[in-house]
Amino acid sequence: MYTLVHGFYKYMVQKDEYCVLILGLDNAGKTTYLEAAKTKLTKNYKGMHPSKITTTVGLNIGKIDVSGIRLNFWDLGGQTELQSLWDKYYAESHGIIYIVDSNDRDRIDDSKETFDKMIGNENLQGIPLLVLANKQDIPECMGVREVKPIFNKNTHLIGKRDCMVMAVSALTGEGVDEGIRWLVDCIKRNVYIRPPRNNEN
Amino acid sequence: MGGLWSYFRGLLGAREMRILILGLDGAGKTTILYRLQVGEVVTTIPTIGFNVEQVQYKNLKFQVWDLGGQTSIRPYWRCYYSNTDAIIYVVDSADKERIGISKDELFHMLREEELTDAILVVLANKQDMAGCMTVAEVHQALGLEALKNRTFQIFKTSATKGEGLDQAMDWLANALQNKK
Repeated sequence: MYTLVHGFYKYMVQKDEYCVLILGLDNAGKTTYLEAAKTKLTKNYKGMHPSKITTTVGLNIGKIDVSGIRLNFWDLGGQTELQSLWDKYYAESHGIIYIVDSNDRDRIDDSKETFDKMIGNENLQGIPLLVLANKQDIPECMGVREVKPIFNKNTHLIGKRDCMVMAVSALTGEGVDEGIRWLVDCIKRNVYIRPPRNNEN
Repeated sequence: MGGLWSYFRGLLGAREMRILILGLDGAGKTTILYRLQVGEVVTTIPTIGFNVEQVQYKNLKFQVWDLGGQTSIRPYWRCYYSNTDAIIYVVDSADKERIGISKDELFHMLREEELTDAILVVLANKQDMAGCMTVAEVHQALGLEALKNRTFQIFKTSATKGEGLDQAMDWLANALQNKK
């Protein structure tokens, strides 16, 4: 009897869990973005101070409950030698956030190349994609108008999936929750292609 | 007001963190422990049993357990798993032959239920040796991409030179504070 009630209770409060991968070149601001997202969307959460965030070589995990579902963020290291590890996560991802350093004009082509390689992967077909032009708090950075055409060039690679380019500042938190809400809507719409992860583990 | 709040939080958070240092024999666990505690390189002999020391880092207190890493005593690691906040897993980056064994031991350990919430820090130690593996190579050799439910980070260190340990402890201290 207890098991039944307990099982029913768990079934009622359980949220569908979806995985979101945060990618981008090193120093784009992926970890800072994750911290900003956690701060914005979690009650009583005080994020890590940006000055304390170091280069990621490994994995940072963030769990956020938003509009009735649970998002499980994977923030991976972006250095060139670590990019070969990204594809291990593709098959289980429900959404991708690709972060671009809008102030790094020298490496924007580099970033675009990495982006193309990523979206060409067959495991990511049809998976919603959010491109964030980060570091908008820096006055001389490229605006979203400049970044957007660069990343929208290869429409055949993007295909039918939902794709959006937005401006954001992970440091100030501006634009963070708009992006996540957009992504949540897309992930929910995409549920037939990629159903939520089971919560068994 | 904020200051007052953080003061009370500090009172609540005064619990000593329990950290295990694990890894194969000869990886440099004991050297790392004493580097953290006294800031010096001490001459060590292979640990049979364990060393435990209290380490103060910034405003955090850690109780650090360094367990012997030889094959015959690895099965006893599990006796120390309960209430562990973080695991520091030390890898000898110059030992390419045994990295596979190191991987098996790591995954064997992470399957334990008592460690599901523990934060993992991997130290790619002995970076001062010529021809050692880079961080990415260690990442791949250990198969860390299979860890999808756990926050972890790899650092390259050289315990004898004292390099990299500060960054690792900084990150760990932040991760532990954020976990609460």
